[in-house]
Amino acid sequence: MSFKEKKTLMSLITSTLLLVAYCIYAFGEAGMQHQNDLAFWARTILIFIGIGIVALIIIQILFHVLMAISQAVQQKMKDETIDDKEIEKSIEREMVEDEMDKLIELKATKIGYVIMGAGFVAGLVAIAFGASAVALLNILFLSTWGGSFLEGLMQIRYYRRGIR
Amino acid sequence: MPDKLEITNNIRTLRFFAHEMTQQELAEKAGVSRQTIIAVEAGKYSPSLELAFRIAEAFGVPITEVFSINKKES
Repeated sequence: MSFKEKKTLMSLITSTLLLVAYCIYAFGEAGMQHQNDLAFWARTILIFIGIGIVALIIIQILFHVLMAISQAVQQKMKDETIDDKEIEKSIEREMVEDEMDKLIELKATKIGYVIMGAGFVAGLVAIAFGASAVALLNILFLSTWGGSFLEGLMQIRYYRRGIR
Repeated sequence: MPDKLEITNNIRTLRFFAHEMTQQELAEKAGVSRQTIIAVEAGKYSPSLELAFRIAEAFGVPITEVFSINKKES
């Protein structure tokens, strides 16, 4: 598995853990007590968006550091005479972003937006059929998560199967 | 409807004749990641025209010696 696949996988795992945490909190006791309190749901979603951004940044930094260490150790084990600059160069080479990465990102993002758009329509349909504004908020939040999750999955798929 | 075209390449052969040039070396010469070279070589990614020219330049051959087009039988 390449560096970019691992990086995408890490993001997927992080966002899944966050969704699980959100579901436990929002659909647990706290959510049940504020079923029609729009302000509570707005605050909860805002807090989880904030936590998500911070968690993703921290995990990405940790991931980069761990990858750099593991690559340095692997190279030192292969060749003990290798100098630090050469190791640094090889790490940079792994992380370089080129046209294939951009194309994969573009195609995957497109799919993510489709899911988010579908979520928005589903939310409107739910409202039209008498669902509450809280349901709309949750549908929008979950479809945004679903969109970014599918985006990550598609990126891994494109890296594995290729893109034409 | 026009016939489907399949782009094939001789990168593996050209690497062999270039003193067994590694994929990493070719990637560095072409300015892309090794993963992209692996995908191009395996026919999993059709490179841009610019990258195709850069790969050809890395081997010092015309682009037609690296890439060729075959009509796909449907």
